[in-house]
Amino acid sequence: MELLGKIGPYNEVADEYDAAASVEALSESKVLVIGAGGLGCEILKNLSLTGFKKIHVIDMDTIDISNLNRQFLFRLKDVGKSKAEVAAKFVESRTQGVEIVPQFCKIQDKPLDYYKQFVCIICGLDSVEARRWINATLVTLAGEDIIIPLIDGGTEGFKGQSRVIFPSINSCYECTLDLVTPKITYPVCTIATTPRLPEHCIEWANEIEWPRIHSTKFDADNPDHVEWMYQTSLARAESFNITGVTKSLTLGVVKNIIPAIASTNAIIAASCCNEAFKLITNCNPMLDDYMMYSGDESIFTYTYKNIKKSDCPVCGNDLKVVKAEKWWNLKEFIEEIKHQKDIQMTNPSLSTKFQKLYFSSPESLRLATEKNLQMKLSDLVGDEEVIVTDPKLPISLRVRIVFN
Amino acid sequence: MTIDKSNKYDRQLRLWASTGQSNLELSHICLINGTTTGSEILKNLILPGIGNFTIIDDKEITTNDLAGNFFLTNDNIGQLRASALCESLMELNEDSKGHAITDSLDEIDDSVWDRFNVVVVSDYIDPEFLDTLKTKLFKKEIPLFIVNTVGFYGTINLIINEITVIETHTSQLFDLRIDQPWQELSELSDSYQLDSLDDSDHAHVPYVIILMQALRSWSDSHNGPPTTMTEKRQFKKFVQDQSRNFTFETNFNEAVSSVFRAYQKTQVPSMVKSLMNNDKISDKNLNNETPFFWILIRALKSFVELYGNLPLPGTLPDMASDTNNYITLQNLYRDKAAKDKELFIEEVKRVLTIIGRLDGLTALEIELINIFCKNSHSIHVTSGSSQMTSKSLLEQMLSNKSNDYDNEEYNHLAIYFGIMTFNHFIKQNNHVPEESDYDNFIKLFSEVFECHPDLPLSALKTFKEIVCHSSSHYHNISSLMGGIASQEVLKIATSQYVPLDNLYVFDGIRSQSDKYKI
Repeated sequence: MELLGKIGPYNEVADEYDAAASVEALSESKVLVIGAGGLGCEILKNLSLTGFKKIHVIDMDTIDISNLNRQFLFRLKDVGKSKAEVAAKFVESRTQGVEIVPQFCKIQDKPLDYYKQFVCIICGLDSVEARRWINATLVTLAGEDIIIPLIDGGTEGFKGQSRVIFPSINSCYECTLDLVTPKITYPVCTIATTPRLPEHCIEWANEIEWPRIHSTKFDADNPDHVEWMYQTSLARAESFNITGVTKSLTLGVVKNIIPAIASTNAIIAASCCNEAFKLITNCNPMLDDYMMYSGDESIFTYTYKNIKKSDCPVCGNDLKVVKAEKWWNLKEFIEEIKHQKDIQMTNPSLSTKFQKLYFSSPESLRLATEKNLQMKLSDLVGDEEVIVTDPKLPISLRVRIVFN
Repeated sequence: MTIDKSNKYDRQLRLWASTGQSNLELSHICLINGTTTGSEILKNLILPGIGNFTIIDDKEITTNDLAGNFFLTNDNIGQLRASALCESLMELNEDSKGHAITDSLDEIDDSVWDRFNVVVVSDYIDPEFLDTLKTKLFKKEIPLFIVNTVGFYGTINLIINEITVIETHTSQLFDLRIDQPWQELSELSDSYQLDSLDDSDHAHVPYVIILMQALRSWSDSHNGPPTTMTEKRQFKKFVQDQSRNFTFETNFNEAVSSVFRAYQKTQVPSMVKSLMNNDKISDKNLNNETPFFWILIRALKSFVELYGNLPLPGTLPDMASDTNNYITLQNLYRDKAAKDKELFIEEVKRVLTIIGRLDGLTALEIELINIFCKNSHSIHVTSGSSQMTSKSLLEQMLSNKSNDYDNEEYNHLAIYFGIMTFNHFIKQNNHVPEESDYDNFIKLFSEVFECHPDLPLSALKTFKEIVCHSSSHYHNISSLMGGIASQEVLKIATSQYVPLDNLYVFDGIRSQSDKYKI
């Protein structure tokens, strides 16, 4: 490799640097790519063209026609097949001596031991939940002194970001959860009684009409379901003289579609892989620890270091302080927890060392704790620690409530 | 567009809609040199469906080309780079058509360039030829991108006379005219008797109405709208005090948080004002060669002189309200926007008559006017340069004393001058510089840029980095710069979003970047 033979002036470990060892490290290091979508396709290409030989890729999704405008390892004939499997095969066919092991499953299906085999994990996901899961999992491993760096990329339209996380050493994904733009939600009363926007009508069809009429779950990949959703939204809009409901908007709202193009994915994936290359070879210093890219208006990047939070529910040790009004009942407090930008849990369960305050699941516990929802929070909890968990996240958040 | 296409391109149509897509599909991009970076640029344009691409390259494929290029394999060795790449890339999207030109650059006929909307040069071509090409394309008003990658570094130049963008997607502002309501809006506002409404109705009056009424009664008792900080604060309190229950009346909360929209004067932004004074549309310069964009600006000038404001875009943000109040208000804005557009079209026709164009407006031009009226407050225009360097740019690089490479102020321009020197080095020596060429490299720099070789430490270090890691095949940087360059080409091709103006430098060691205007 031309880039590894010489020691450059910016190399931070020039005295110890060994070119042969770097080349070997590239071909021997086992790396995991999470996601074989827009970013994943690029990441697999980049890794295999920069000397990596042992790669795993994991993705639970199958190929859809709307992927083809950027996921360049897939063709029309591949629609419906596993992304991980098609991507792995394609890249192997174009490169020499690279082994890519596809995993057609959810990351949550793999045991902790599976992740221990990797030297580095590169994430190209569109799901906040999956990122939180892998982040928390790697911090757990760090507790056993197994530090696996996580390089994470994300894009939206012309914008994106790449970051490097050394679990438990620098700021983790959960430390900066407030950077994530929360999904737009509309008040129920607007949707139910005073709609103004086409989006309100679509949400009405999606959240109120669908569950009222159908017993099956809505499937956005089923054309009949989508057509029903569109027609129902359209009729609703017409009855209120609201214009602008289109099929494209309907899909956008019910699937929470984020715009995506090949070029942004290429930029962010390459940035992530550049960091992985520097990590494994030591040839130049790494990003410390976050770069945001914006191409909306000219080109702009901003590189900075995030702060590791001492009250981070994943990598911190301190209790998180949550403020509450004296007059709140437990239900109002739970709503607060759900919506706080740095907590963002969808179905939180709460308990103290004395009692179970509320459990969202299983059903038996939910029924047993439901009555607490209407009780005054200050009657239930004093200044003892409250543990908050969510069935979808391997996180237990320790909270202390402070009443205003 | 067929159903298939709207499905396949769904994720990008949400960024540039069908108007941007059809512009892209009508575009023809030319790539000079079938490098890794060049291949990546084309990949990112073929996938979203650019109409045509042409690769100009007379070289044969060697093992060196395979190192970082995903679109070439062992089987291609010995073939012509342009043809092999063209074939391999075409496979990405049947909607894009590829062409290969395998002549050497100096054999290419001048008229060939007229086929292209954009030309991209990737990595090395003879600096003297680049100069000629630059001048040629600048004259022909064809945008030229020059993309270079060396080791962990990359640069992009955009050489273009002028960039005009109507749909910039930059404006977050809403033109609501609260301070200058037109008659119908005034009447609607007057029809609300806030005091006589029951509590539920009171909480569903749109904030535009609340602010209009508040502004009027304030102005009546204070001889005009609030202007000083103190008055603005008092006005805010005045609005809040009209709420019956501020905790629960969302509409009054919105009125208070949007209170600036009431006392902010509706006026023509200074950027648009300066466009309207551009010499291009003066009486003596306006003629039947004037581009349609500038005809619209001229019409805009007349429109503003006649009616005092820009055409109303007609978009109303969402606000707490019941359905009926909101829809009535929304229709009022839309109707006014439609009327303004008709009046604006009259002005366009008047300008066309002046320059002797009497054939009427085409459907495409009407569509453009539509977009123009919605965006006239956020139009973007810049003039570019045909130069790749300037005295002041060189001076800026030489005087940079920052030695701390974590610092944002670190010498990005040293990368740029280093890469230009790198290309001159190839011209002089027929090979890329290596570590042992370091001293010669510095000497060559001072010759090419006619300056003393007394360089700041940051530049010396960066030049050293360039000669140590002088490969242009490091795939991550090729892919990254290819991504950025294609993003900028997309903006030009779709005629949407504001592109680079006009030099960009990326540092893959520090993962930082900067931009400059030459």
